[in-house]
Amino acid sequence: MSSVTYGGYGGRVRTSTSVWRGWDRFDYLMALTAMALVCVGLILIYSGSLSFYDGPLTSFSSPVFKQIIFACIGITGMLVISKVDYHYLTHYAWVLYGIGILSLIAILAIGQTAFGSTRWFDLGPIQVQPSEFAKLATILALARFFSEHGGDARDLKTLLISLAIVAPVSGLVFIEPDLGTSIVFFAIWLGIVVVAGVSRSHLLVMGAIFIAVFPFVWTFAIADYQVERVSVLVDSNEDSLGAGYNVNQSKIAVGSGQVLGKGWTNGDQTQLGYLKVATKDFIFSLLSEEFGFVGCMFVFGLFILLLMRGVRAAQIAGDTAGQLIAVGIVMLILMQTFINVAVNLSIFPVTGVPLPFISQGGSSLVSLFISLGILQSIVMRHRAYRQT
Amino acid sequence: MSILDEGFRAPGGSSRNRPHGNLGVLKIAVLGMFLVLGIRLGKMQLLDGSNYAERSRENHIVQKNILPTRGLITDRNGEPLVQNVGVYSATILPETLPEKEADRYQIYLKLQGLIGVSPLEVKAKVDDAIEAGKAYIAITVADNLPKEKALALDEVSVDMPGVSLAITPGRDYIGGEEFSHILGYIGPQFAEDAARLKGQNYQLNEPVGKDGLEARYEADLRGTVGFTAVEQDAYGHQITALQSKDPLPGDSLKLAIDAGLQRYVGQLLQDSLADTSGVWGDATVAAAVVMDPVTGEILAMNSLPVYDNNIWAENKIRSDELDRLVHDDKTFTLLNKALSSAAPGSTFKIVTASAGLEEGNVTANTTRYIPKTLEFKGENGVDYPLEDWRQHGNISLVDAIAWSSNIYMFEVAGGLPQERIPGLGKDPETSAVILADWARNFGFGQPTGIDIYGEASGTIPTPDWKRRIYSGPQFNSSDREWFISDTYFSAIGQGNVLATPLQVARMTAAIANGGKLVTPHLVNEVISPDGKTVRKIEPQYQDVGLTKSTIDTIRQGMWGSVNYGAGARANIPQAVVAGKTGTAEFNKPDGTKSQHAWFTGFAPFDNPEVVVTVYFDIGVGGDKAAPTAAKIFQYYFENVKR
Repeated sequence: MSSVTYGGYGGRVRTSTSVWRGWDRFDYLMALTAMALVCVGLILIYSGSLSFYDGPLTSFSSPVFKQIIFACIGITGMLVISKVDYHYLTHYAWVLYGIGILSLIAILAIGQTAFGSTRWFDLGPIQVQPSEFAKLATILALARFFSEHGGDARDLKTLLISLAIVAPVSGLVFIEPDLGTSIVFFAIWLGIVVVAGVSRSHLLVMGAIFIAVFPFVWTFAIADYQVERVSVLVDSNEDSLGAGYNVNQSKIAVGSGQVLGKGWTNGDQTQLGYLKVATKDFIFSLLSEEFGFVGCMFVFGLFILLLMRGVRAAQIAGDTAGQLIAVGIVMLILMQTFINVAVNLSIFPVTGVPLPFISQGGSSLVSLFISLGILQSIVMRHRAYRQT
Repeated sequence: MSILDEGFRAPGGSSRNRPHGNLGVLKIAVLGMFLVLGIRLGKMQLLDGSNYAERSRENHIVQKNILPTRGLITDRNGEPLVQNVGVYSATILPETLPEKEADRYQIYLKLQGLIGVSPLEVKAKVDDAIEAGKAYIAITVADNLPKEKALALDEVSVDMPGVSLAITPGRDYIGGEEFSHILGYIGPQFAEDAARLKGQNYQLNEPVGKDGLEARYEADLRGTVGFTAVEQDAYGHQITALQSKDPLPGDSLKLAIDAGLQRYVGQLLQDSLADTSGVWGDATVAAAVVMDPVTGEILAMNSLPVYDNNIWAENKIRSDELDRLVHDDKTFTLLNKALSSAAPGSTFKIVTASAGLEEGNVTANTTRYIPKTLEFKGENGVDYPLEDWRQHGNISLVDAIAWSSNIYMFEVAGGLPQERIPGLGKDPETSAVILADWARNFGFGQPTGIDIYGEASGTIPTPDWKRRIYSGPQFNSSDREWFISDTYFSAIGQGNVLATPLQVARMTAAIANGGKLVTPHLVNEVISPDGKTVRKIEPQYQDVGLTKSTIDTIRQGMWGSVNYGAGARANIPQAVVAGKTGTAEFNKPDGTKSQHAWFTGFAPFDNPEVVVTVYFDIGVGGDKAAPTAAKIFQYYFENVKR
């Protein structure tokens, strides 16, 4: 192993092909922030799983241990991907996009159903959620598309084509049904087209059309369970044992945490089983209950830091594709966080979106670290392009 | 060479691919969204936090009440008349049932197998409760479960979320049906009382006394509710006991009632209902009061027919029987006849004679000739025949009491204008008012103040009363007029006079004890669970306002009645009895005339220690009530140890 490159600026040592090249530009702060969030998640998963798991910590059936394994897989994936030039990914963007669409169609046919929604492939010991993969494939496809069209969404035709790229994926996810993820897709698209310079009037007209069509969508396309969840949100006391139960209990959990929380493993809403799926979709309620407002603000701080490092990646990206990928990934993480927390705070209907890096679940964690890997890839390569 | 290397190169310096996006918007989006979340979080945790914390506590801390043991009731000798038992019932708490309708139905079906309740009925009850927003209140789906079913339910209820076995305190009245009217019963709170009882810290499942002593002494018998606070998880499992307070048992009652006497009198009245004279038919209801004339202790108080007060606790199993009892409009079994009013007939002559003696219009020796029929000129100048029950001839006041002369008592109260015999007052109206005043002095027309609810006041008519009662368009002005015949009928306890057997007994006690009107009481002592006397019921008196000579004269008359007069069949060898018969004419609902039979008396004559009053709705005082009273006196002197 050559020691020449270690610590030096990769750009200056262009001739070397060592794996150690470029690590000086690796965004360690971003990676550490993500790992801090994972650690917060591990602490919460431990507390939240006490009521159903009391085996040893170092067992493959321990939720904490499993999460650690997935985190390791994810981090490894991140390190590998960060060394991969993201242009390879944009190069194969359409292929990846096609695989994404096919997997979403396949899941509707043969996937596993849970809580009235079909989102998983059951591959023996692990479950794979293709929508996680489809998110990244769509981001890559959009970035590829715009970079081939001058990185510009001013043109209405370009804008509509880009919408046509997102619509099928979002639609397939919506049918699962998974309203939250389908919104995440549109948010990614919106973020990308805004940065790509969409014309304000186009955006306004499309917004107006959406508002006009919305009532019909509400009536004919949105599943009953969604209507129920939304109306439960409006008055969760109405039916406190039916659909409103979770909303009510999560509200109580969050509110009762007050300033400093009830203390780790002392949240009675969680520990006594009143809060359902406390390690997954409602892990934020657990955080709020046991660590209070202060704990939540700390986690918000970590998220803001992580996302700002993502924005930085977009800023310093060497080309349009890199920038738009970074924007897409920032939107992906931002919207998932927002929707999940909003659900926990009862300002959004209950929908199965996990809290990035914190919620228990392998697919989400691994794919998030791979997303970070792509961001790192963009960051690590910015100089090369600036210099050409 | 590999994808790990930066193999790709951008098409050299093309300005098209220079990144040119405005990333400020993205930063604003990031900060803005977290600001929204932060504000919402702040509102929930900082502003409304304490409210949510309270709801969280309510969520998992369940306070369970432990109902206290109700105080017992014994007779004067300590014989228990009631015992506490557990009443098992199956309850469903709708909010803890499974969410899915199919799962719920499985539970209903299981319940049917266990205790035989219809699943559809249970479902309807549960759905109604949920619809009414009362899912947090347990519904009783079956009660009075036999013990083996209760235990079976208890075993499996662990696997049936929402279903539980409730044990509520119940009462088994073991004294016998003769005690039903006195003891009353306990039962679940009525909806209309629940709010008031909640104010007194009653729990919803806490039974309350409904009638009789159970109701009157509720505060003593009830005890103090205890509680346990337990932490409970979302599935209803108890996690930890937080704190608890033991319930305090209620105080017990020691009655003045002698259980043996009470049962004897009940049986005696029952056996005496049948008509032996062949004139008036069988009696359907009867009442008796045995009391201590000095202390007011009620030694026995019977009302016939009797009923089993355990029927209230077993209302589900015995619903037909209960229905008949509640809708009984022939004998009104639930009504305590000793506290219900009827025309007192000649027993009221004690009042009339006392009034005459005190007002001075007669003396003990005033002798008058009393024919079988007296032609009497009414206010309108028409002659009316006044009937007595026999030709008395020349009799004094003492004999008039002893032989129960009606005409003599007419003259005492209202005088006889055609022969210038003075009445109590200067005219019939004044006389009636004076008579009514004396009746009130003897405690008529008002409750006696006995320690049990549901006592009738009775009626003592006066001219004012008649004007008031007969006011209204459906009456003529002559209906409101007070005639001398009204005074006459009042004098012999008929017409509009109504009195309860207890009031008659109390009047008798006043004569027996030397002129004091005593407040009767069923309970002698309230005793704490550790056997200490909490309080004793002390006798209370009012003065009737009689002189000793008046009392002596009345006592002479009453002695005469039993020893040579109308009440001779009350004579017993064990003691000298003095008393007064009564045979009150009344119109039956079908319009035919009939008679109430009364006897009231005391013994021993020289040192009275017991008063007995007997009433039958149909019969002749001297033939039916007097011999019954004699047997009661006999039983008392032979069996009641005091």
